[in-house]
Amino acid sequence: MHDSENPRESIEEFGARADTWLSTSIPPRWKSERGALSTSESDAIRRDWDRTLSEAGFAGLSLPKEFGGQGMGLAEEVAFHVLAAKAQAPDGLARIGKILTAPLLVRFGTVAQQARYLPKILNGEEIWCQGFSEPTAGSDLASIASRATRVSGGYHIRGRKTWTSFVQHADRCLMLVQTDEQAPRYKNLSLFLVDMRQAGVTVDDIRQISGAVHFAEVQFTDVFVSDDDRVGADGEGWKLAMSILSDERGGAEAATRYVEIRSDIDALLETCGDRPDLAAELSALDIRAEALRWHLSKVVDLEGEQGEAFLRAVSVLKVVWSELWQDVTRAGWRAGNPDDREHWRFQYLESRSASIYSGTNEIQRNIMAERVLGLPR
Amino acid sequence: MNVNAVPSSTVGEIGLMAAEAVRELALKATGGSKISTYVEGPSPLAWNELVEGGWDLAGIVENGEGATRRDLVEIAIAWGEQLIPLPFMLTIVAKRHSPASLETDAPLTMALPIVSLPSGRSYLPFGQLDGILLVRDPGGSTDGVHSIPAGQADDLALSLHGIEADEISALSPQVARDVAIVLVAECVGGARQLLADGVSFVGTREQFGQPIGSFQAIKHHLANALIAVELAESTTIWASVDDTVSAAVLLFAVDQCIKTAEIVVQVHGGLGFTWEMGLHFYLRHMMMVREMVPGLIQLATIE
Ligand SMILES: Cc1cc2nc3c(=O)[nH]c(=O)nc-3n(C[C@H](O)[C@H](O)[C@H](O)COP(=O)(O)OP(=O)(O)OC[C@H]3O[C@@H](n4cnc5c(N)ncnc54)[C@H](O)[C@@H]3O)c2cc1C
Repeated sequence: MHDSENPRESIEEFGARADTWLSTSIPPRWKSERGALSTSESDAIRRDWDRTLSEAGFAGLSLPKEFGGQGMGLAEEVAFHVLAAKAQAPDGLARIGKILTAPLLVRFGTVAQQARYLPKILNGEEIWCQGFSEPTAGSDLASIASRATRVSGGYHIRGRKTWTSFVQHADRCLMLVQTDEQAPRYKNLSLFLVDMRQAGVTVDDIRQISGAVHFAEVQFTDVFVSDDDRVGADGEGWKLAMSILSDERGGAEAATRYVEIRSDIDALLETCGDRPDLAAELSALDIRAEALRWHLSKVVDLEGEQGEAFLRAVSVLKVVWSELWQDVTRAGWRAGNPDDREHWRFQYLESRSASIYSGTNEIQRNIMAERVLGLPR
Repeated sequence: MNVNAVPSSTVGEIGLMAAEAVRELALKATGGSKISTYVEGPSPLAWNELVEGGWDLAGIVENGEGATRRDLVEIAIAWGEQLIPLPFMLTIVAKRHSPASLETDAPLTMALPIVSLPSGRSYLPFGQLDGILLVRDPGGSTDGVHSIPAGQADDLALSLHGIEADEISALSPQVARDVAIVLVAECVGGARQLLADGVSFVGTREQFGQPIGSFQAIKHHLANALIAVELAESTTIWASVDDTVSAAVLLFAVDQCIKTAEIVVQVHGGLGFTWEMGLHFYLRHMMMVREMVPGLIQLATIE
């Protein structure tokens, strides 16, 4: 993405600019009172943060300019996440929209869909959720049973989704649904952009083991979606879902995870770095975190080619970061530092989910073995 | 069997009997209902049932006759399976050592040290329970039962209904070792139950048209959980029969239980991460025990 009138700023220049901006833009309350904020206060700050990012030109860094992005690459995306974490920036609510919906629409959306949805994803006005998993279709995503039937101008959707994150805030849902009962597996699904603010959508909160409520079961009873809100052709849902899943397990996502892991390790080093009994463990975790960062850089460098080396490198990301995070939080909790006991207990429980969502680590390893290494199925 | 001078791991009559009895009482009380329906509330098993059976006295030793630590382990494992929110094992240990506590039928607790708490502050399992009493110096010169001091609820282990308070129970090395061992043995029972739950879940949950238990990745996970449970049990038994063994081995045992819980959560997929499914109640219980064990080990170690 080279603009001859306005030569592209180097990654170092970009980093310096982002760092300066971050140093003055993060809401002080988020940094100083984070633990004490109520859910609604913290949600409000996270929502505002999405808008602030957008106003300052830091939203959609790797999206092309014609779609309202900044026309940069994965490198800037990763660099920004790292700097934001160091500066203790909030994590916005727009995650699904930015990481999943936006890249999907850029590649496969109609001009009208791009115009309608991208601006509001980037400025944080509309929050998205991802309606893939169902009670009987988790790892075996292709077996989903929610069904869309034809009505005038579009479809009526019926079915149940579950473990839907962000749905409590969501305006829209990126939803995978069966549209053809007769078609064979993988050819019977379609992908929709569903309005969640309409009758027929019922959300039942599900409490998680950490005590937090970050996902829910969602019932869809004759929920309308128009033809204009179908991405791709009828029956192309599986192909699009695969593209979404690779974004979900890809570099941008891993970068945001790296950030969280790094800040947990830094906290641990700060409080327990001088403890001889923990020295070996902390140093090993530190090295693994930096290995993840270097590995991410390699992924970024290989991105342009999309060749075999890139696919190999990307395929291990999700397992690497999720297992590292789990080991970090376990170590943090076991270290038993009195001042942040609650933090570590919570993070430890919370991190148990990382090997389950975005495709379980068993499924990830199956993919590595079968698709990357070519082992027999 | 006695392998190379390792003390025998055989349980005594009393251990077997009491284990069997409390396992039955617990199962009858819960009636197979989901753990999330009872663990946070009042116990489904009335304290009186345990007292009427005399089970709170199961640890008493008179004239050298009575339950051994090995027996206590057996009872605690059985008791730990259903996670009934009552201080049964702590009461058994209290009555084993504290003559003063024999004066009451009330459930009993002790103020247990936690390394990461400020000095002078401790954790009282079941401190939130109505009618519970605190044993301050079990078997010591100021042995006695007291009302529970004011404190602050700690909601990590919901099954333990505990509080933090500015309070210290003087615990002799013997008492500390008993307490640590029964707490860890309860976790072993919990881990055993979790493994059984995991096995039954993967036999029925289907993905890709077959039970997920037919996938080798899942089989290996549960085989590893089996290894962890077996090692946790062996090391707990070992610590109970061999006084010369470092109490730190108990930390290993509880870590194996936690590993089991992590695996069982994992094989449940999204369901395993839900409050409702209830696996976390065991995990949280084990976490709290893990937080208590180092302090107890320090006390239990006779220099
Ligand atoms: C915190 C959290 C947030 C989530 N957010 C969302 C969301 O926003 N949107 C959404 O659509 N979904 C979401 N999910 C759902 C997530 O994608 C699923 O939980 C996941 O895909 C696993 O599916 P499942 O829960 O049905 O488990 P199952 O598929 O039933 O898996 C159970 C166990 O079996 C294993 N298994 C299954 N098949 C195989 C196999 N072939 N080989 C080896 N092992 C196998 C799994 O690895 C797992 O250990 C979320 C989950 C969590 C925990």
